[in-house]
Amino acid sequence: MEGSDKMERTSKVMSVKEAISRYMGDSCDSLAIGGMHMHNNPMALIREVIRQHKKIKRLITSPSGSINAEILVGSGHVEEVLTSYIGLEHLGLAPKYRSAVEKKQIKLLECDEPHIVYGLQAGAGGLPFIPYPKGMDATDLPKVNPELYRFTTNPYTGEQVMTAAPIKPSVALIHCQEADPFGNAIFLGSEFTDRQMILASDVVILQVEKIVPNLAEKYGAARVNVPGFLVSAVVEAPFGCHPTSSHGYYTYDESHLKGYLKACKTAESYSEYFNQFVTGIAEEDYAQQVGKEQLEKLRKGGAA
Amino acid sequence: MSEKAYSISELMACVMARHLKDGEVAVMGAVSMVPMAACRMAQLTHAPNLYYITGGSGAVNPQLDPLVFSSCDDDLLRADSALALPDVILLEGHGKRFDVFFGGGLQIDKYGNCNLICIGDYEKPALKGPGTVGLPFLPLAGRVVIYTTSHNARTLIEKVDFNSGPGFLDGPESWAKKGFPGSGPSLVVTPLCAMDFDEETKVMRLKSVHPGVTVEQVVENTGFQLVIPDNVPTTPEPTETELKFLRKVDPKGIVKNLL
Repeated sequence: MEGSDKMERTSKVMSVKEAISRYMGDSCDSLAIGGMHMHNNPMALIREVIRQHKKIKRLITSPSGSINAEILVGSGHVEEVLTSYIGLEHLGLAPKYRSAVEKKQIKLLECDEPHIVYGLQAGAGGLPFIPYPKGMDATDLPKVNPELYRFTTNPYTGEQVMTAAPIKPSVALIHCQEADPFGNAIFLGSEFTDRQMILASDVVILQVEKIVPNLAEKYGAARVNVPGFLVSAVVEAPFGCHPTSSHGYYTYDESHLKGYLKACKTAESYSEYFNQFVTGIAEEDYAQQVGKEQLEKLRKGGAA
Repeated sequence: MSEKAYSISELMACVMARHLKDGEVAVMGAVSMVPMAACRMAQLTHAPNLYYITGGSGAVNPQLDPLVFSSCDDDLLRADSALALPDVILLEGHGKRFDVFFGGGLQIDKYGNCNLICIGDYEKPALKGPGTVGLPFLPLAGRVVIYTTSHNARTLIEKVDFNSGPGFLDGPESWAKKGFPGSGPSLVVTPLCAMDFDEETKVMRLKSVHPGVTVEQVVENTGFQLVIPDNVPTTPEPTETELKFLRKVDPKGIVKNLL
């Protein structure tokens, strides 16, 4: 008799360096980055993408991108961006994104929030498009962006209806709080649109705070709503969302984000920031570079 | 109440809170510290059955124990329940699920259209804004409450450079033609005054000036011709009860110290 209950499954756990070099080509057609505002941004993976000089043809954000998109645009590796918002919420505009658009250094595919949500849903399910609710064409977006906002006839009413095209990222970089070695993972706080990105993307690279071998046992399978078969690689990166938050684990680092904004002011200070926190160090040394004491101050009461 | 007993942003929160009715459902986006505080305060003062959803967190009725800056903070998940964000987007398209939608913009025009996309021409912007996120849902989402922390002639203008959050569009005809499910902009709250909209012309109308502010000051700082009624009352100051609950919700003074 072949087989046994001792057959070993293959672990998907690897280093951040290996995950990025193995699953992202030197040029990535479309890269989706998870997280919303200053929360759950997969910064460890993003910093590694910059270190490995990956070219990104199209960057796709959640409905509200933050430092995740800002720093990728700032690195100069992004050709075009599909987004409905990139900014630092109450801390202000995203300087590098703003100037790259104003100086036309990147192409902007500007859309609204439902375009991303509907698009990912369509991409995940093989739907040809998703029609918008009536009345959503009243903004100026369809006028400046006819490629992105196409119209068809509603076969039930004969009326014109605006549509969102499927979004099918080649790679998604996502942060979950915990995963098992096989890529089954859990969001301990808000999911934002990260799960839709996972469902719609060809390749998913996960970074997690902690690898938990008995994850489904710990939380119950119904709460583990990222199935491993959609995940290619799992990277354990404690404090890997810094300077953004990881829901349930730690809050965002406002002083670091403000420091980043300050560093944007001159080319010298910006390259100094990159040297200090991105290109000049290995990701494994990031936490030490920020400082253990500083990170501990951000930790939430109930975190593991 | 003495003149310095409250800050102007606290008064703005009170104006918003008073607009909310018991049993309604309100929704808001990013940088919503004032609307969040207003909703929670309304629950404590007069609308115990109000529901409110805070931005990308999907949280329904956060306890705000205490108020936080970010609309996606995990502290907001101490709440009644939490929707996944795609579900919030789905419901925003329904047209009848939400009664009040909080919006704003880099520019707001006389018909209550909002702009978060750019200042100047889209192809050659003088300033690239952050983006519009969920504002295109405004005409589908009940009454729109618009707020801004800067009441000046650059923010409140004749016509937005880019319409990314539709109000009454180009006026009554264009609005009526669309047949939107929502009822459009209904209240504008600024550091100087509260405004609503003329029923006929759909142009923004002065509703009340905040204590110490004159009608002339409002006119000077507005970049279009406001409708000015014969009698403009003064915005009632926060009551002791309002302030008590506002500060209970916001012990760190996030709203208080905003303006």
